[in-house]
Amino acid sequence: MSLDPASLRIDQRLLYFMDQLEILEEKRQKLNALIEEGWFNISKARYSMGNKQVSALQYASEMDPHVYVNTSLSENGVVEFQCEQTEHKAEEPKESDTVENMGPTEGGLRRRMNVRQKETEDESTAKGQHEEERQVAPKAEKAQCPLQEPLKWFGILVPQNLKQAQTVFKEVITLSAEISTLQNVILVTREELQSQMKEKQKISLN
Amino acid sequence: MPGRGKLIAVIGDEDTCTGFLLGGIGELNKNRKPNFLVVEKDTSVTEIEETFKSFLARNDIGIVLINQFIAEMIRHAIDAHLQSIPAVLEIPSKEHPYDASKDSILRRAKGMFSAEDFR
Repeated sequence: MSLDPASLRIDQRLLYFMDQLEILEEKRQKLNALIEEGWFNISKARYSMGNKQVSALQYASEMDPHVYVNTSLSENGVVEFQCEQTEHKAEEPKESDTVENMGPTEGGLRRRMNVRQKETEDESTAKGQHEEERQVAPKAEKAQCPLQEPLKWFGILVPQNLKQAQTVFKEVITLSAEISTLQNVILVTREELQSQMKEKQKISLN
Repeated sequence: MPGRGKLIAVIGDEDTCTGFLLGGIGELNKNRKPNFLVVEKDTSVTEIEETFKSFLARNDIGIVLINQFIAEMIRHAIDAHLQSIPAVLEIPSKEHPYDASKDSILRRAKGMFSAEDFR
């Protein structure tokens, strides 16, 4: 049996392997540069806000992820990683759910003379309604804003540098998924090359 | 939750974790363990290794990001991980730039050729 087809296959896979390594090298350099830019922005934000204002102490006690990675297995055995980012949507509150009526439910002046019993009854019913509305309001807020924006951990008004850091790290996350896929491609190609080389050796011995 | 993708975990210094948490990867609630570990000067190698192994054991983590200098501390554990999921990605830290010669994946890819193969 001729060695040419086997050698040709190996050469093709080897060229593909080298191409993937080159792409990985480029993406790695981009990733490292972006991460450094992110750190630089965080340091600038720390300089303007104060040393302890941008640290692990500000992390929320409860966090929900905004980013997920979807994995899929392709036909040639390569696992592909794809990032999925869920946007934080600040929905407008519904008036019926979140507006708290703090004032009296009845219009007009309240009589203070000779109607003390009536007033206490009115107050107790009004208080009951207020409590129900307050209970509805926080539940409505929770339901409308399930994903908390991480920037808010560091304060309401954060410097632009911190927002830039967030943008940069979001890009890093997307790039990390691409690099993870490339790493898997390289390892799978390596295994294919090794098996093809063993095949070639068997053919050459025969 | 059905249909939800996997998480991204991170083991790194404070700024690395802060950056990725700003990016929105963090999960922390009363029911589940966090998907990140902030490594400080007094963090033990045992804790790092246990956290890394716990991330590998979880079926809801797709990628593990780890500073390379921390990866060096638990290199044996990283080299022993041969599965595709979760993917382990070594990243630089502020004080230790990325060194491709130390990366586990690239070392595995590099050591495949010998002189006999090119005859």
